[in-house]
Amino acid sequence: MANLISEPTPLTVLSPIKNGDDGSQTFASLTRKYLQSLDIHEKSPMAKVPNTFLCRFFVLNDVFFEGSPGKVDHLKSKYLVFCCNFHGDLNTYLREFWQNAQQEAQKIWRHCVAFEQVHDAESFIDYIKKCELNTTIYFNGSTGLPLDEQLKALYLKQEFSQFACEKQGLSAEALFEAFQEFVERTRPADLTGPTWKPGQNTL
Amino acid sequence: MPDQHIDLNDIQGNIVKAYGRFGYPKARYIFFQFHDVEAGRNFIRDLLPLITTGRPWCKDQPPSATTNIAFTYQGLKHLGLPTKTLHSFPEEFSMGMKARADILGDDGESSPTEWDPIWHHDKYIHMFMSINAKSLEALEERYKKIQDLLKKSSGLVTQLRGHRDGQRDDLPYQEASAIFVDGKPTPTEHFGYQDGISDPYFKGSGGNPLNVVGGGKPTRGDPATLQGWEPLETGEFILGYPDETKELPIAPVPTLLSFNGTFMVYRKLHEKVKTFHDYINNVGKDFPGGPEAVAAKMAGRWRNGAPLVLFPTREEANAFAQEYEKARELAATSAKGKKRYEELRLKRTGFNFGNDLAGSRCPMGAHIRRANPRGCLEFGIKDAFATPGALDNRRRILRRGLPYGEVTNPLSDDGEHGVIFMAIGTSIERQFEFVQQQWINYGNDFKLSNQKDPLLGNHDGKDMFMIEGGSPDNPPFFCPEIPRFVTTRGGEYFFVPGLTAIRMIADNLIDPT
Amino acid sequence: MSNIAGKSYAMTVITPIPKIWAWVNLLKFWYSKNIRKKKSFGLQTLSLIHYARWVIIRPSQFPRLSSNQPKEDLHYAYMLFFSNFNGSWSQYVDSFHMAIPKGLDRIWKHNFKYPKSVPLQPFHRYILHNQIWTDHYYNAYPLASSNDVKAAIALRAALLEFIKQSENMSPEEFQKAYKAFLFYNQQHIAKMHSAPVINLADQAKVERVRLIESYEKTLRDEHGKPNF
Repeated sequence: MANLISEPTPLTVLSPIKNGDDGSQTFASLTRKYLQSLDIHEKSPMAKVPNTFLCRFFVLNDVFFEGSPGKVDHLKSKYLVFCCNFHGDLNTYLREFWQNAQQEAQKIWRHCVAFEQVHDAESFIDYIKKCELNTTIYFNGSTGLPLDEQLKALYLKQEFSQFACEKQGLSAEALFEAFQEFVERTRPADLTGPTWKPGQNTL
Repeated sequence: MPDQHIDLNDIQGNIVKAYGRFGYPKARYIFFQFHDVEAGRNFIRDLLPLITTGRPWCKDQPPSATTNIAFTYQGLKHLGLPTKTLHSFPEEFSMGMKARADILGDDGESSPTEWDPIWHHDKYIHMFMSINAKSLEALEERYKKIQDLLKKSSGLVTQLRGHRDGQRDDLPYQEASAIFVDGKPTPTEHFGYQDGISDPYFKGSGGNPLNVVGGGKPTRGDPATLQGWEPLETGEFILGYPDETKELPIAPVPTLLSFNGTFMVYRKLHEKVKTFHDYINNVGKDFPGGPEAVAAKMAGRWRNGAPLVLFPTREEANAFAQEYEKARELAATSAKGKKRYEELRLKRTGFNFGNDLAGSRCPMGAHIRRANPRGCLEFGIKDAFATPGALDNRRRILRRGLPYGEVTNPLSDDGEHGVIFMAIGTSIERQFEFVQQQWINYGNDFKLSNQKDPLLGNHDGKDMFMIEGGSPDNPPFFCPEIPRFVTTRGGEYFFVPGLTAIRMIADNLIDPT
Repeated sequence: MSNIAGKSYAMTVITPIPKIWAWVNLLKFWYSKNIRKKKSFGLQTLSLIHYARWVIIRPSQFPRLSSNQPKEDLHYAYMLFFSNFNGSWSQYVDSFHMAIPKGLDRIWKHNFKYPKSVPLQPFHRYILHNQIWTDHYYNAYPLASSNDVKAAIALRAALLEFIKQSENMSPEEFQKAYKAFLFYNQQHIAKMHSAPVINLADQAKVERVRLIESYEKTLRDEHGKPNF
């Protein structure tokens, strides 16, 4: 359940990958290969998906054997796992996922069971919900505020820390003026900019 | 009394004794290469009788000079240790310090390419030797003895040249010495700070039990008293004994090779004395309390050793330092004097940051608060962790070493002066490397983003250091554009075997199967 | 492929749990509701975690989307643990297990062969044995730790408030108010930069990204388009 104020929403998705291969590689291997080829940081497709804080994809090949006297378990399918922390409600998030990164979503999930039924945002939402697992325990060590607020805050922290150091010791007049300039330049209330880009890895 | 379970006779003396502070102010560090397995074994067999152990000196006359040895991964390989044994050593040790430069932050002027020539070759250094002595004469005498043993190898063991001293860059050893004032050795380094005040105190070390205060691990008791501290587990510093996570530390095989041994980090750190003084003088013009207060805020102690937490003003710190020095002199002559000295010693070590959570006395980013957080990583939240030192008890290092060189011209950064820094612990990665990377060159654990240790950080001239304020009228002060005060000039990782292990290496008895 | 994105590390661990204990789900929920009271088993103070979650999945709960998809038949239920933390694997595990051993043991104690969090080496081995490597990890703020985010949010809120309050002040009044503002927010002021190289595989990662790029190029050259 989403909390719009400060709790992030956790989403855990296990999508079964079709057994079989394309004539040479298994669908699971192909899925993994595509995931591993994705660009990272600001070029990741997930940077285009609004309000994504942290997320990961991986292919779950199987479960592990802990050794005797444990029993050996094997999964009958391999699963594409998507684990995400975001702001907002699930429907909105997934709709925007589809709207902003449809191509990548189609490539990521293309080898999953029944994904051929997905052809628009609504069917994508339905599909993901079928694959969703409940979170048993969730720990939020950060914040669930909208991503633009977080990124603007990070931008401001960086700029203000520099300002505080640089403008130390100014006269009242000069400080007053410098601060006005700072506010004009950084526009603290304006979430559209200047700010950090999602996934930005350089200053 | 030392713990019965610990065989100090088998442990090398430099692990349990900081010689520099035990009346051995002169030191020489020498590096060797083995060109032949047999010759190498013979050399260390010959050295065995000279090696100083951890046996308490109260039992006999202290020697006039000490000798200790340690090996690099390459050294152990050239002494013929089996592959299985070699592979059982930790990765950072087998890689060596240069290969870890990115983790250690040895970049720019601290890059391995800038180090003394002796460090330039790969797989070059095999053995380390330290000689500490009461006098230069004793040092020379011991050194000559070593030279005689070396001659026996007919050139199959060589002493490596390539240390710089300002004039030459091919010296056959690294000389180090306490800084002498009026003919007496002092505990200060070239920036003028008293050094090595709180060294870790562990079970069985045989040291003065009072050293547990500030040197042990924090309990929830009063940090000014013995109840506020407990000795750290032996296994944090010596292999083969239980450590802070209630197990035997990871160690190379066979057990007899690692038992009573440990790892040691050697680093030659150049101190840019002019840069340091220019900086504190310059910033001190704007900071209340002036340059001396800036120097204190960077370290967390006044340069005379008084901790900011207990002595927030310079007047208090100076008065204390005078009293302390007087007591130290009287301690040798009367029981009353000794008692007073011990009381005062606790004022240098018996504190934590529990009453200074916002850093208004000792800044959050000050050197001592980083290097030894004294349980403050709970940030004042009572019982947040199973034990207050949960995040720092496994990051402690025994610090050894002495200053080197002289400051002949305080108006220049050139010349050769700094400290030979040695860090001892059972895991270089978990202890030294962690502290260096996460606490010296980064600040997240202290909620300081990327702020670095003001004194030791690998600054690039863009960092700032914040001195927290104490009230709305006394806001934080920002030390801008900190230059790099300390640069790395060389270093390596070593394994310090126990005496039995050295003998077994010499006798080719190491068998991991 | 990397578990690292800037200042964050993605840890995923999957461990078997006897089915009967999977029903302690409810109990776990009860725990989690009490987490806040118990300082989140110390997690909050540990402060190096952005987000973490535990997901218990019984065999019947594995998503099955078509009758063609074989039904899972497993001896155990499984617990999935996902964490996004700041620092390296060993730094995190080391901190985690020393700071909050009881909290960890409470969460994992019914898992098959869970060795307890102290001593460290069996715990290390347990985590490593059951860890799954991430194929793609995305972090919206690779330059920020969890502490940085929290400080930034607090600082911005205070700054917005300060701007409002100081609107009609004279320069002198402003200076006094500004000093107070700095003092009250000093714990939030510090500059960020790239994460330290937390292990040397991070460099390998950069190298690997380059390799994959050239690999992709080869694929494209041969087939005209990426062969995925």
